[in-house]
Amino acid sequence: MSDTNSVAIMNQVPDAAAGVRAESPLHHADLATVAHKGNKIGGVHFREVGLMGHLTLRCDPNNAELIGAAARVLGVELPLTPLSSVESGGTIVRWIAPDEWLITVPNDQSFDLETRFRAEMSGHYSLVNGSGGLTIYQVSGENVVDMLKKSTPVDLHDSEFPVGKVVSTVFAKSGAVIRRTGANEFELLVRRSFADYLWLWIQSASAEFGLVVEA
Amino acid sequence: MTQKNRLQSGGRIDRSKALTFTYNGKEYKGFEGDTLASAMLANGIDVIGRSFKYSRPRGIVAAGAEEPNAVMQLGATEATQVPNVRATQQELFDGLVSGATNGWPSVDNDLMGVVGKVGGKMMPPGFYYKTFMYPQSMWETYEKFIRKAAGLGRSSLENDPDSYEKINQHCDVLVVGAGPAGLTAALTAGRAGARVILADEQSEFGGSLLSSRETLDGAEASQWVEKVTAELAGMKEVMLLPRSTVNGYHDHNFLTIHQRNTDHISDKAPAGQARQTLHRVRAKWVVLATGAHERPLVYGNNDVPGCMIASAVSTYINRYGVVPGNELVVMTTNDGGYQAAFDWQDAGRKVVAIVDTRQNPQGAQVAEASKRGINLIKGSGVIDVAGSKRVTGVSIATLNAEGTAVQGSVTKLSADTVATSGGWSPVIHLAGHTGSRPVWDDKVVGFLPGPTVEKRLVAGAIAGDFTTAGALAQGAEAGRKALAELGLGQAEIELPATEEVVVHPPMTLFQIPHLKKTSEAPKQFVDYQNDVTAAGIELACREGFESIEHVKRYTALGFGTDQGKLGNIAGMAIAAKATGRTIPETGTTIFRPNYTPVTFGAMVGRDRGELFDPKRYTAMHKWHVENGALFEDVGQWKRPWYFPKAGETMQQSLDRECKATRESIGILDASTLGKIDIQGKDAREFLGRVYTNAWAKLAVGKCRYGLMCGEDGMVFDDGVTSCLGENHFVMTTTSGGAARVYEWLELYHQTEWPDLEVYFNTVTDHWSTMTISGPNARKLLQELTDYDVSKENLGFMDWREMKVAGVPARVFRISFTGELSFEINVQANFGLQVWEKLFEHGAKYNLTPYGTETMHILRAEKGFIIAGQDTDGSVHPYDLGMGWAVSQQKPFSFIGKRGMAREDCVRENRKQLVGLKTTDPTIVLPEGAQGVFDPKAPIPMPMVGHITSSYWSANLGHSIAMGLVKGGLDRMGEKVYYPLADGRVVEAEICSPIFLDPKGERQNV
Repeated sequence: MSDTNSVAIMNQVPDAAAGVRAESPLHHADLATVAHKGNKIGGVHFREVGLMGHLTLRCDPNNAELIGAAARVLGVELPLTPLSSVESGGTIVRWIAPDEWLITVPNDQSFDLETRFRAEMSGHYSLVNGSGGLTIYQVSGENVVDMLKKSTPVDLHDSEFPVGKVVSTVFAKSGAVIRRTGANEFELLVRRSFADYLWLWIQSASAEFGLVVEA
Repeated sequence: MTQKNRLQSGGRIDRSKALTFTYNGKEYKGFEGDTLASAMLANGIDVIGRSFKYSRPRGIVAAGAEEPNAVMQLGATEATQVPNVRATQQELFDGLVSGATNGWPSVDNDLMGVVGKVGGKMMPPGFYYKTFMYPQSMWETYEKFIRKAAGLGRSSLENDPDSYEKINQHCDVLVVGAGPAGLTAALTAGRAGARVILADEQSEFGGSLLSSRETLDGAEASQWVEKVTAELAGMKEVMLLPRSTVNGYHDHNFLTIHQRNTDHISDKAPAGQARQTLHRVRAKWVVLATGAHERPLVYGNNDVPGCMIASAVSTYINRYGVVPGNELVVMTTNDGGYQAAFDWQDAGRKVVAIVDTRQNPQGAQVAEASKRGINLIKGSGVIDVAGSKRVTGVSIATLNAEGTAVQGSVTKLSADTVATSGGWSPVIHLAGHTGSRPVWDDKVVGFLPGPTVEKRLVAGAIAGDFTTAGALAQGAEAGRKALAELGLGQAEIELPATEEVVVHPPMTLFQIPHLKKTSEAPKQFVDYQNDVTAAGIELACREGFESIEHVKRYTALGFGTDQGKLGNIAGMAIAAKATGRTIPETGTTIFRPNYTPVTFGAMVGRDRGELFDPKRYTAMHKWHVENGALFEDVGQWKRPWYFPKAGETMQQSLDRECKATRESIGILDASTLGKIDIQGKDAREFLGRVYTNAWAKLAVGKCRYGLMCGEDGMVFDDGVTSCLGENHFVMTTTSGGAARVYEWLELYHQTEWPDLEVYFNTVTDHWSTMTISGPNARKLLQELTDYDVSKENLGFMDWREMKVAGVPARVFRISFTGELSFEINVQANFGLQVWEKLFEHGAKYNLTPYGTETMHILRAEKGFIIAGQDTDGSVHPYDLGMGWAVSQQKPFSFIGKRGMAREDCVRENRKQLVGLKTTDPTIVLPEGAQGVFDPKAPIPMPMVGHITSSYWSANLGHSIAMGLVKGGLDRMGEKVYYPLADGRVVEAEICSPIFLDPKGERQNV
């Protein structure tokens, strides 16, 4: 049990030597087979990027010391503009709320990142590993906006939702953190327990355009 | 049958494309471009239904959304039945099957027809309130009777075979209506690059221009419409939505559009296509260019088929090439009505007379009538018509200058069609949806949209300018205004040249007087759809219903799918006259969404079947399915309920699962428990304020159970919270209560105690949680970990970090079964792997998976509560006998402390949670059963509380129950009786709810 800053952190990822297989929320859907057998052409493309490290950082955005420390750990400044994100190397930092950011790194780096945060930062903040509870759906294609418009009330027009914008919002009857990664590319960060529902939803909402599953 | 009323040429129909349709079982022909209504009129179908209350034959009155009578039942099959479709809005397609909704079995020979006249007397205005409401228990019976008798249409008894879309839209400007005003508004905004949505309910754009013979730039108006539509269609940011009715205007410029994608092709959408789409639009600005509806005049027997709106007659002739009769009488209060006579005459049929209520009408229209040799009868009105299934003649009388009384003799003329024009009512429905009160305008003789807080503009006839030139100019102006407000620059468009029209003042007249007073005159209908007459409104006023809102509810004026499109203004005018007020003094009722009916399918979209509601799964769900679990809904979670083996009954499964757990080891997927990570130096203090018990001294590595109460002192959630570090805790909540508890913590932090340094994060989905429970639990766990999990090293209510099956885990020694239990938490990506490893090693201990039902039994054997089952928001910790979990000594108060000290919360004889043992140990009391102390007491017996939990306990060999009993904690050993619905009275003894191992020795090993 680690006790830096009076919080418990632990490396939650087993050693490679333990031979433990990790399963993303859509593991059971066997997307590799679906991708192999399914459509090769379609207006919407779908890919699950599972097993990433997701850390939620909460601290006062007006605390220059904490903000500075976070930047040193991450190698990029925390985005302070609402609904924005930064991406650098393999690290994505999303503004979620005035005092909340969601950081994504490869899962095997999450403990290292957590450790460095704990070493670098002091005072009032929280850092929580939520890697097991989240997965990323990458959706793209020429009809991706048409599909998303059926799913979320957010305005996705490129004038209102440029590349890099992040919104935590309603998606179907669940929720998602939506980030635009390209003209016709979005990333949906969804909760594990809702992953199946949203996967079914996306299949249904994409049907008229043709859905291409990638794995 | 031939289309006897079809013209040889003209109109926007394609005579080369004949379509066959069925009405009331009979086949007819129409053409592409027809509506169902125009095709019916072409075929000379006069009666299209019976009226709601009086069962009178009714015909088509209008040509658009305002049609009150031709509300049809559609559908060739049971599955595709659709009620409430206006024939005037339904495009004709080959194979369309329609039927009258009213007047079973035949509209021509209605059984109710005779009865109806009696029924009418039995159903005066106010019948709705006078009868339907008392006695309330009879409501359903009345409703069925009324619906069947009136025939309001029916929905399908089978599943809808179609799919529907719901889609979110955003725009700078939403233009409602694609008539002349809407087109220029959209074009202006579109040219500046604004994001524009232009929606129109009709199959093609053009609005009034489609049925008018006016020219634009010297050519047919349709040419200009085509040019503008083509330009709009080429704009990237413009979305054109024909066949799309804007049905609702909600707060903050949120509007809903009902688009009919395939209803013009078939009653079932082609494969792969959504039948209809509901657009949910957020518009920065809205331009309402909804036009106006012509008002029919109110006169005797004005509902006899053949009585129509003057402009509708023109529309049928000009747009559809249909003349709906042979001999026409026009009655008008304004210049507008004349056009119907001219169009009729040009179509080669006989105009009997134009009856103008004005004493001395002047101007171009009058001159034209005279030039055409039409018999113009001035200062007169049609006071009554003859006929029942079709007009056969009219009675015309001279009126006084005010139009309030008949003067002189009555002339009778032969006619089969009466077209009336009482002026135009701006279509202000949408403008009123957000609560804006319409404003009366004497010059317009109608209500105009009132002031609004919404970012909304109006243009054209809705604004009271009924000319085409005015509509074109106002539309462009609205477009420019919207652009300016949006800061989107400017754009100019060139307006087409229009024919100059000089309009002469109309006469303000709604109801044509009769020789007899209204109450004795032939019925003068105001609202056809709801069978509201002028006499009915007068009666309502006499009975004291003076507010227009009361008049509406008393008479049903403007109710239902009609929303007062034709009758509201006349109804208000009649109410105003009856109460001696002006129309503005009388005011108007407010229109509600939806403007026209919307199918449930469109509202539902894809939220049906599998996607009706999210189903949440744990990482081990696949295993549960493969191992035969049956599932139970807990919130949105699908939790294993129990795991039946082949041939087992449910009870046998539960008995087996319960025994295996107490005798060896059972395992539960507890991943659904809410988990909240709490960090910060004030985390401990915060816990002390939201839980009833003390947290100041909980050491790192320890766990504690807590009760959470509302301000009222009543328990609403419970769970174990563990101290992970000095400033770090993880809280567990009930599966269904996770979101509520998380919001509760944030609410109190953000609003009451923002000074406390603490952050909350939900980690429910992050951890997979599996609980192994039973005497062999330690042995199994030890096999999978290097960590020493002995009693000495991992005591009861301790937690430790360790690797389980090679996966880093937090293991909590907490117990909801009363057995030796370990709750293993691993990152969910590894959950299934660890679960399977436990089974690999647990086989020799007969490791048995169990679900929520066995969990409930095992905890009930121990008297552990389930918040939300044993509590219901009226139970505080002391009622539960859990005073031990309340610390009154904490330096800062806690939520609920004051609430539970209220007078009522500390009185004697409150309902308290106790155990209940049935005298006959085999009887399992039904949960919810009400208890009494004296089973012989007279009915109504004083009830003393209900059973909250009740099970068969295989471990104990008898039933067990928990329940609330008045003063129960002081009544140990006393009897309570439960009279059941089947007549049995079950006797039970009050006891401790801890049925098993009261000293807690089993979990402490």
